[in-house]
Amino acid sequence: MNILIVEDNKELAVEVYDFLCNTGYVCKIAHNCSDALEEVSSNDYDAMLLDLGLPDGDGFEVLKTVRKTKSKMAVIVLTARGELDDRINGLHLGADDYLTKPFALTELSARLFAVIRRIHGFTLNNLSIHGFLLQLQDYKVSYSETPISLTKKEFDIFQYLVLNKNRVITRLQLTEHIWGDILEVNSDSNFIDVHVRNLRKKLDKHTAIDWFETVRNVGYRINE
Amino acid sequence: MKIKHQLAIFNALTRLLVIVVLWLMLPILIENVVYRHINNGLLEKKQKFIDHLDRNEINDFIENSDDSTETYSQFSTLHSEFLVLSKSPVKSNQKKAVFTNEYRIIEGEENEYRILQYHFVFDNQGYQLEIGSSLEEVKDLVFIIKFFILIVFVVILFITFLADTFYIEYLLKPFYKIIDTKIRRVNEPEAFDHTPIKARSRDFRELDSVLNQMMDRISELFKKEKQFISNVSHELLTPIALLKNKFENLLQNDSLDDNAFDKIAGSLRTLDMLKKIINNLLLISRIENNQYEANESVNFHELINDLVEDLQDRIEDREIQIFNKMQHDCIFTGNKTLIHILIYNLVTNAIKYNKPKGHIIIEDGFLDDRYFIAITDSGIGMNASQIENIFNRFARISSDQDGQGLGLAIAESIASFHHIEIKVSSQINEGTIFRLLFPESIKHN
Repeated sequence: MNILIVEDNKELAVEVYDFLCNTGYVCKIAHNCSDALEEVSSNDYDAMLLDLGLPDGDGFEVLKTVRKTKSKMAVIVLTARGELDDRINGLHLGADDYLTKPFALTELSARLFAVIRRIHGFTLNNLSIHGFLLQLQDYKVSYSETPISLTKKEFDIFQYLVLNKNRVITRLQLTEHIWGDILEVNSDSNFIDVHVRNLRKKLDKHTAIDWFETVRNVGYRINE
Repeated sequence: MKIKHQLAIFNALTRLLVIVVLWLMLPILIENVVYRHINNGLLEKKQKFIDHLDRNEINDFIENSDDSTETYSQFSTLHSEFLVLSKSPVKSNQKKAVFTNEYRIIEGEENEYRILQYHFVFDNQGYQLEIGSSLEEVKDLVFIIKFFILIVFVVILFITFLADTFYIEYLLKPFYKIIDTKIRRVNEPEAFDHTPIKARSRDFRELDSVLNQMMDRISELFKKEKQFISNVSHELLTPIALLKNKFENLLQNDSLDDNAFDKIAGSLRTLDMLKKIINNLLLISRIENNQYEANESVNFHELINDLVEDLQDRIEDREIQIFNKMQHDCIFTGNKTLIHILIYNLVTNAIKYNKPKGHIIIEDGFLDDRYFIAITDSGIGMNASQIENIFNRFARISSDQDGQGLGLAIAESIASFHHIEIKVSSQINEGTIFRLLFPESIKHN
């Protein structure tokens, strides 16, 4: 998978680049509109991460131009909150999703996965881990053909951890993924633990799950 | 009372005053004119009589009359005039001619007359001549004139009152148009209509242009503030994004020792708190800068059902019982996201400040025809001075509570953006009621 990162903040671009390369994507960085347009016209990208405030123009202009030629490319708009609020028509202009800065890199990778999957006609339907099969289309999990009944939240947590396997996912990241970017400043909530505990109980009935780790007070990790 | 009515009534009253004064002066005026006219007539007649007078005639009149009385009387057929000549002793200091109003009985009919008494001497004999003219006709005439004038006055009063009302209304039309199009319907400076209002009075044209100028200044300030908010948001959130992503990448490093790992995780939590504070402050600024549309229809029933479901984890965690007693199916036009945040903040507060195993009641109803939603908790409660401060930014009931005390400040700015009134009543250790009073325009669906 080829990803183009269009972001004028060089340090930030590098962090995203590192993370996505670690995940297994092939990435390239463009720092302004003209570089971005040149990259898009000369190489085939599966997805583009697009910052809106670019030094030589508006990210939306890049989006418009790109949409004329590359309909199969997934575009996720990255922006500071509010910049998008007045122009929520970003999605109508052809962005597949948007994330407000600051965002969690694991959230970015989950969104990227979902968007690419959608664009490729849901051919990447399933995820599997240690014998568990996640059917993303209909929110079902099974272990060697035996279906496991999970709640929506449990399924979302499982999927998120599997998508970001081999990484530590903090409670905060999980909370934000499940409940959204709630404005309330009450960061260290433990409600997520209840759901994780239930999820583990359900998975544990079928096989040993020592690969589903609790990382001290920080969060969780699923190892492949 | 509107100014057009006040002016019209004032005009009518002053006119009425003038009319009353005229009405009171009328009899005096009429009498002066009429009496002078009658007096002149009487004097003329007297002159004619005196001019033709000689001995024979006097004898004819008095001496040789059949009934040989000392007087001679003569009157017109309808008793409207009479003439009496009689002898009278000559008195000194007597005025020659005197006018009086007297009642006389002529042939059994009593009438009021204007009478000229004239004394003269003829052949050393004093005579008194009385010429009278009936006042009945004059009185009738005066009555008719008074009646006519009364009717005319009433009609004039009525017509001018109507004319005043319409003319003032016509004059004030631009004024109401200015109020309606330039002030009442303008919620944000961008929606302001700069087209000048057509007005005949220069005052209103001035008012209009002053309003336009004022709106230009406000609009300029709003634009500047909007730009500022956007800059702050970009300049503050980008470094946070950078730090957050750096820490996240660092966290995946296997060579970290436990101590470093904990510190990075702690830093991420602090960053998250910082992000939320900034976002909350920016949210308040954006609301106050009118950057939100308020044209979505909000169904409270659905909204509160969703919200209670969203918060189920927390409610269960604190073993709180929540009673959703929403009965009315009301639709409100506003910003759905903001209204959600408003009610979300109130309900999470009710959870946060509740006692374990306490309860929360969400109900709605009508108070003086205004729709309200009330959120009641069985929490720690507040005293009056605490209630005064809860809507201030960074205000917290006690310092050991988590959160930054922005929730209610946000709730308040969202409420005032939508013209919703928040009423708080509370009792220490009993609980608190937050009541959202919606504008009267919201009706039962």
